[in-house]
Amino acid sequence: MHHLLPLLVAVPLLGAALLAAAGRRVPRAAAESAGCAVSAATAALAVVLLLGSSPPQAEWVGGWVPVGGESVGIVLVGDGPGLGMAALASALTLAALVYSWHYFDEPPRGHSGSFPALLLLFQAGMCGFAIAGDLFNAFVWFELMSVVAYALTGHRVEEARAVQGALTFGVVNSLGAYAMLMGIGLLYARTGELGMTRIGQELDAHGPPDALVLAGFVLVLTGLLVKGAAVPFHFWLPDAHAVAPTPVCMLLSGVMVELGAFGVWRVHDTVFSGPGGLPAADVERALVALGVLTAVVGAVMCWYQRHIKRLLAYSTVAHMGLFLTGIGTLTPEADDGVALYILGHAGVKAALFACTGILLDRYGSVDEHALYGRARRLRGVAVLFVAGGLGLAGLPPFGTALGKSVTEEAVGGPLTVLYVLASAVTAGAVLRVAARVFPGLGPRPEEGDVYETTGSGEEPETRQRLSRVPDTMTAIPAVLLAGSLAVGVVPGFGGAVGHAVQEAGTGGLVHVSVHWTAPGVLLGLASTALALALAAVAVSRPRLLAAPDRALPLRRLQSGHVGDYVAWLLVGTTLLGALALPGILGS
Amino acid sequence: MSPRTRLWLVAVGGAGVAALLVAACLGLPAFGGDHHPYGDRAVEASLAHRTANTIASVNFDQRAFDTLGELTILFAAVLGCVALLRQTRDEHRARPEPAEVAPPVRRYALLVLPVALLTGLYVIAHGQLSPGGGFQGGVAAATALHLLYLGADYRALERVRPVGLYEVGDGVAVCAYLVTGIAALLGGAAFLANTLLPHGTFNTLSSGGTVPLLNAAVGMEVACAVVVLLARFLDQAVEIEEESGT
Repeated sequence: MHHLLPLLVAVPLLGAALLAAAGRRVPRAAAESAGCAVSAATAALAVVLLLGSSPPQAEWVGGWVPVGGESVGIVLVGDGPGLGMAALASALTLAALVYSWHYFDEPPRGHSGSFPALLLLFQAGMCGFAIAGDLFNAFVWFELMSVVAYALTGHRVEEARAVQGALTFGVVNSLGAYAMLMGIGLLYARTGELGMTRIGQELDAHGPPDALVLAGFVLVLTGLLVKGAAVPFHFWLPDAHAVAPTPVCMLLSGVMVELGAFGVWRVHDTVFSGPGGLPAADVERALVALGVLTAVVGAVMCWYQRHIKRLLAYSTVAHMGLFLTGIGTLTPEADDGVALYILGHAGVKAALFACTGILLDRYGSVDEHALYGRARRLRGVAVLFVAGGLGLAGLPPFGTALGKSVTEEAVGGPLTVLYVLASAVTAGAVLRVAARVFPGLGPRPEEGDVYETTGSGEEPETRQRLSRVPDTMTAIPAVLLAGSLAVGVVPGFGGAVGHAVQEAGTGGLVHVSVHWTAPGVLLGLASTALALALAAVAVSRPRLLAAPDRALPLRRLQSGHVGDYVAWLLVGTTLLGALALPGILGS
Repeated sequence: MSPRTRLWLVAVGGAGVAALLVAACLGLPAFGGDHHPYGDRAVEASLAHRTANTIASVNFDQRAFDTLGELTILFAAVLGCVALLRQTRDEHRARPEPAEVAPPVRRYALLVLPVALLTGLYVIAHGQLSPGGGFQGGVAAATALHLLYLGADYRALERVRPVGLYEVGDGVAVCAYLVTGIAALLGGAAFLANTLLPHGTFNTLSSGGTVPLLNAAVGMEVACAVVVLLARFLDQAVEIEEESGT
C-alpha cells in the first residue's frame, strides 16, 4: 500500500501534463471534466491511503530503503496529519474545479486546458508538501505550490490590480522560500542529512543548540510563516485574495495557508523537538507571541474592511493566528484541536468565498456598501452565507466549534479569551456583511474614505454577468458547509482525528479523548452570540463601531508597496530570532 | 509608510538577519574537512548503479523525486506564463516588419547555430557520464534556435519554431518522466526505482539504467519550456500591441 504514496503527486501531475499537451485540441468541457476526474481520483486515493495510515507508513521513493539506518533517498510519510492535509487539499481542488466548471471566464484562446491544468499542479504541490518527510523535498513541492499560486492569482491580467497583487505575492513568498532554503542549507551543513527525522537525530547527537541551530530554525520557519501569513509576514495575503479568482481564493484560504501551519508543526516535531533542537519554552514563546499578534491584527483589520474578499482574507489571517497559537503551546491536546479546527475552517471559509464569488458574478461588485440590499432575491445564497458566518464564529455543532473547544481547553487561561474574541469579531464582520447585502438591514452605509479599497466596479469572473446563478455554484458552498458540519457531528470523527495526530506526533504514547464538552459548547455559543451582537450593533448603529482614527495607522500598514512588505519580512525574521534567542544563550 | 520609516525598518530587520547569519556561519564545519556523510554514501550508491557522473545519479536516481518537482516547477512556470501573457481582449496582433541584420552578425549566427544545437544535444546525451545533463543541455539547445532571431529575423524564427508543437512537447516530456516512474511501480518496485533497464557497463552511453531516459525527458522538457517561454515574451515585445485609444 505504501508504494502508492507517490501517486498522490504523480496522478495530478500526469493529468496536468496531458491537459497541457492536449489542451489545444480538446473542447473546454472535455478538458474541465478530465480535470475534475483526475482531481477526484487523487482525492479518492488520498482517502484510501488515509484509512490505511494506522500505523503511519513510510515510503522510500526509488526504493532507496535505508541500509544501517542511512539512505541517500527521499522518504515520504503516510501518517494521519499528512494524508489528511493531502485529502483536504484534493477535496478543495475538486470543489474549486467544479465551482469554476463551464462558467469561469473564458480561457486563453487555444488553451482550454490551462486553468484546470494549473489547478491540478497546485493540488500536486500541496499533496507533495503534505506527505514530504524530507526537508529539501518539502521545499521543492512548497515551491511548486507557490509558483502555481502566483500564476493563478494573476490570472485576470486585464486588471492592473491583479498583476500588482500577484507580483507582491510572488516577491514576498519567494523571499520566504530563499530564507527557507538557506535554513535547509545550514542544517545540511551541520548534519549531512536531509530527511527530517535524520536531521533531528544528528542535531541531538551534536549536543545542545547553538547559533547555527537557531538560524536554521528561524530561517526555515520564516519560509513557512510567510506561507502561513503570520504577522508581520502576512501582508501579501489580503492583496492576493482581493484579486485572485474565486476558485483560487477557496484553495488559498482553505488549505494552502494552513499548510504553512502544518509545516511548522511537522518541522518542529521532527527536527527541533529533541535535546539538540530548541528548548520547548523558547519555541512556545516565539510561536504563541506571533500567533496572538496575528490573531489580534487579523481580527481588527477584518472588522474594518468593506471589500468582502479582503474581509474574508483577514479573517483567514486571524484564524491562522489561532492555529499558530494552538500549535505553539506544544501540547498534544492542542494539536488535536487545531487539526479539527483547520478541517472545519476549510469548509466554512471556502464556502464563504464561493458565496462571495456568486455576488461578484451576479452584481459585478464585492463592496459591502455598494451591494447594500441588492442581493435580496438570492435567498439560498443568503442562507449559505449566514451559515458560513455562524460556522466561522464556532457555533456548535460545526467542526470549527469542536476544534476550537478542544484547543481552548488545551491552551487554557487568558488565551481562551483570544479564541472567543477573534472568532467572534471575524464572524461578526461576516454577519454584518450578510445583514446589509442580502436583506438590506439598517441604514444605507455612508460613502467612506476615498482611498479605501472598496471592491465595487469589479469585472465579473464569468463571461458576462450572471442572470441566474448556476446550480454548481450554489451546490459547492452547500456541500462544503455540510462537510464542516460533518467534522463536528459524525460520531467518532473527532476521536479518529485525535488518534491520527497523536500517532504521528507522540508515536501514540499519549491518548487524548476528543469530544464535545459542556464548557466548549458554552464558549462556542458565547462567541456566536457575541458575533451576532456585534453585527447587530454595526448594522443598526454604524457610527458606534466604525473605524476610529486610532485604527488608521494599522490600516495604512497595508500599503500595497512591495518594499514595505519586504521590510516587514526582515523585521519578522529578526523578531522570531529574538524571541527564540534565550534558548541558545542558556545552554 | 514614508521612505524614511521603511529605511529604518530595513536597517533594523536587516541588521538582525545579518547578525543571525554571521553567528550561524561561525558554526559551520571548517573548509576542506573530510567528513562528508552524504557525499560518501551518494558516490557509493552511484557506483552501485554504474553511473559515472555521481551528480546525475543523485538527480535522476537517488533523488529523482526532487527532480520531478523541479521539472514540474519549470513546467508550471511556463504554463503560468502562457496564461498570463495571453493576448487579452484589449490587445491585437501586428505583423513585425523584417529587420536589417548586419552581415557579420548574420554569418556568425548561422555558423554558430548548428554548433550550439549539437553541443546542447551532446550535453543532454552524455549527462550520465560527464558534467551537464538535461537541464543544462536543454537550455543550450533552446538558445541555439534563437540565434535565428539575431541572425535572420523574427519571421525566420517563427518558421522553425511552431510554438504549439513545443507546448505539446513540454507536456509530453513531463508525461515521459512520470510514466518511467510509474512503470517501475507497475513492475513491483518503488515509484521512480531504477529497475526497468539493466545498469549496463560503467562509463558507456548505455549505462546507469533509467538515468539516461529521465535525463532525456528533462532535456526535452527544458528545451521546449525555454522555447515556449521566450516565444511568449517575444510575442509581447514584438507582435502584441495595445489597442490604440485605450
